[in-house]
Amino acid sequence: MAGDHFIVIGNGPAGSQAAFTLREKAPDAEVSIITREREGCCHSHLLPKFLAGTVSKKDLFAISFDDYIKKGIKLRTGQSIVNVDISKREVLLDHKEILPFSGLIIAVGGKPRIPEPLLVFKDLLYPLKSFSETTIWQKKLLNVDSILMLGGDLTSLAVTKALLTLEKKIYFMLNEDAFWPLRFNKTLYKEVSRKLTEKGVEVLTGLKIKSIARISEDVCRVRIDDQEIEAGLIGAFFGLVPDVKFLVRSGLQIDRGILVDEYLSTGIEGIYATGDCAQIYHPELHDYWISIGTKNAKALGRLAAVNLLGGMEKTKVSKESIFDIDGIKVNTSWWSEF
Amino acid sequence: MLKNDITVEICGTSGDGTIAAGGLLNEAMSRAGFSVIAYDSYPSEIRGFGRCVTKSRFGLEQMLAFSDKVDVLISLNDSQSYSRTPFLAKNAVVLFDNKPLAKVKEGGSIAAHVGPDANLFGVPLINLALEAGAVRKGKNLAALGAFVALFGLDPDFFRPVITNKFKTKGAEVIETNIKIFDAGFNSTLNNYGEQAVEALFAPVKNKNKGKILVSGNAAIAKGALDAGLELYFGYPITPATPIMEIMAKELPLKGGKFQLMEDEIASIGAVIGGSYAGKRAMTATSGPGLALMAEMISLGVMTEIPAVIIDAQRAGPSTGIPTKTEQSDLHAAVFGGPGDSPRIVIAPTNVKECYEYIVKSLQLAEKYQTPVIMLTDCFLNNRVENVLLPEKSSDQMKDCNIYPDNSEKGNYKRYKITESGISPRAVPGMEGFVFSSTGLEHTNDGKPADTPQIHMEMNEKRHRKILNALNDLPEPEEFSTEKLLDLGLITWGSSVGAALEATLKAQKKGLKVGMLKVPAIYPYHSDHISNFMNRCQEILIPELNFTGQLANLIGHLHKKVVLRLNQTTGEPILVCDIINRVEDILAKINK
Repeated sequence: MAGDHFIVIGNGPAGSQAAFTLREKAPDAEVSIITREREGCCHSHLLPKFLAGTVSKKDLFAISFDDYIKKGIKLRTGQSIVNVDISKREVLLDHKEILPFSGLIIAVGGKPRIPEPLLVFKDLLYPLKSFSETTIWQKKLLNVDSILMLGGDLTSLAVTKALLTLEKKIYFMLNEDAFWPLRFNKTLYKEVSRKLTEKGVEVLTGLKIKSIARISEDVCRVRIDDQEIEAGLIGAFFGLVPDVKFLVRSGLQIDRGILVDEYLSTGIEGIYATGDCAQIYHPELHDYWISIGTKNAKALGRLAAVNLLGGMEKTKVSKESIFDIDGIKVNTSWWSEF
Repeated sequence: MLKNDITVEICGTSGDGTIAAGGLLNEAMSRAGFSVIAYDSYPSEIRGFGRCVTKSRFGLEQMLAFSDKVDVLISLNDSQSYSRTPFLAKNAVVLFDNKPLAKVKEGGSIAAHVGPDANLFGVPLINLALEAGAVRKGKNLAALGAFVALFGLDPDFFRPVITNKFKTKGAEVIETNIKIFDAGFNSTLNNYGEQAVEALFAPVKNKNKGKILVSGNAAIAKGALDAGLELYFGYPITPATPIMEIMAKELPLKGGKFQLMEDEIASIGAVIGGSYAGKRAMTATSGPGLALMAEMISLGVMTEIPAVIIDAQRAGPSTGIPTKTEQSDLHAAVFGGPGDSPRIVIAPTNVKECYEYIVKSLQLAEKYQTPVIMLTDCFLNNRVENVLLPEKSSDQMKDCNIYPDNSEKGNYKRYKITESGISPRAVPGMEGFVFSSTGLEHTNDGKPADTPQIHMEMNEKRHRKILNALNDLPEPEEFSTEKLLDLGLITWGSSVGAALEATLKAQKKGLKVGMLKVPAIYPYHSDHISNFMNRCQEILIPELNFTGQLANLIGHLHKKVVLRLNQTTGEPILVCDIINRVEDILAKINK
């Protein structure tokens, strides 16, 4: 493996696990991670608690920078890839640096999803899926008292809980079809609505946003049907979509994510995709699936690395799990319909 | 948390406008109310491809030295900036051009060379300059704009500085440069607005009122002009040339005479000639020039004629590394003359003292009728600080020459033996005070003489005179609160700042460490130095030369062998290097 340069794009649970596996199994190879994030691999499920101040920054990060350095993994933070040239086997970074690779694992994860009707208000919506987005929330919260929560993914419920501890006024626009990646059934929808109301959240149901206007640095006026509310911060919680726009010219097969087989191979020799950005073919279901969850991402990251080095391990469907967020139980599985 | 002390480096190659950008940054930050200390490092070749680095430290309190680590690296040329990455502080900000004109191979960007903790901010510097209608080297202004945006500074502190910089080049050039600056500012704000780095602390308004941002060289020139310098003779040499350039411009405006000479021997010869005629005269040079001046300085000693020589030390020997700093001319300054030729050697330690000590040097030279060598170094000559300089006063211009009494008219003994060693000095043209001066040993009326008795008497007189000058030389300054110290540092010249910062840090940790600053190199205050040494278990003398030249000079005053920290890196001594050595020594003491 001496002389090999393996590049991993993304430093989430899947990317970092892939890099550490490569390092372990190919000790002489050069292993680099390119990540747009400035911080390390973070426990994203702890971000709401970090926002509430109950978890420290140190606890948020699973792996320290020193861990990468000690293992000889070159971690390039704050750097983005703008193209992958599969014929030349090189990636082009945003700052025009070309990196040749002998093996590539794409683990860019997802980016916050903003539904089409709301895209026009994108600049006024604040997702909370990464550490950098959380720090923006922290800064904003210093000056605002009221927050409008849009969407309804799992993070939104945890963030709402965190915001309540900060004694903020919360409006929650709960739409039956907004919950992602699952769809609510009527029972769950009612239960979530009831729980939120009990906690002092003003739940707005069955309504649609007509306009959002920023009237000052810290106040937005939101018109919802005939109702008008003012909110200092508008959170967008519509889940994640694979962040693979930079691959459109690469020749890799892209649907919503990167299409890979059950071995996580893109079909191009030495190029694998894993984690939230991969749409994985499931031979039993005869369809492509996408995964969520840290545990699953790690497993897939390891698997991509093993297979890149010549292994032939197949992905497996994980068992169903239940999310329990503050008494609200959400049935899901590690494999969820996209 | 707001940052209250940051070190910024701008790095590029010759022609990138690195030094110019550093100058603008320092000036604007000073206007904004920050304390500034800055230093440029550039290649020795006049033109070519070499690394240029301008290093600036901004803070609220007066800065003593540079910090060991760099908080912000602005790369104007990535291939030159790689070498600076080992000096980056944790979580340092790295601002670089993320849209170079061509793609680069792996490792061709600074982004490949920084650690994961670095905060990279890519800004299309060249593109912004080109879009603003300038050539690519306008990228330095775009970088400044980006820096201002990242740290949430007020761009209005910068625009007037840029205008002032280009005022002689016309409105169009000013407008273009402001446009590039604004483009860098706006582009960065748009791209990184929400992610901008921690804001700097807000400086106190009008904090720097009355202060000027000035280099050691400029402070020397200003001090000499304020002291009524009448003649300047010089020959260009790095790092002393800026003094000559200022004199060429300013001295004639004040009624003085400036003359560019053919070499250093001619320069010192003219200084001695001018002083002989009763004029206040000086020159400035560096090590190689000082070597050439050796015989003429001895002539000044023998003829007892004032002369002030600035020796801006640089890395030697010979041509050495002209643009790098060193404190390795101490021996040459003190002992570098044939025969016994005592002279006064004085060493300022910061920019303010450059001003104060040149005034003092001119006065001492007159009063003691002797060459005075003021030892500075490249670091001190080139570094800029915002300082409050004393108001120009008649005291500075005071004629310090001790003239003969009228009663001596007609029977004037130019080299009369006196208790102080100072023989009242007449100047040519004073009626009734005819005398001759010669490099030959002489009688008290200046006539050549070679008898043992006269030579011994005159030698003794000349030495006595110089030793008596100790009364007028700045005394050592002590920085300690303890009576007994485990370790005492003794430092001189530009190394004092770093040593003092190291000492204060050690004291903060509860260590029994003190420091003595020695501004008078020759003659030196041996009693004061001995007293300090006697209170210290160990003595450490950090200096920028190979053998420890101050240690060689004063080490005998200590009852034990003095310890040395000698560096010849060409760069200023680092606070961390001194602290590490201090801790090593203390660990051995406490074993």
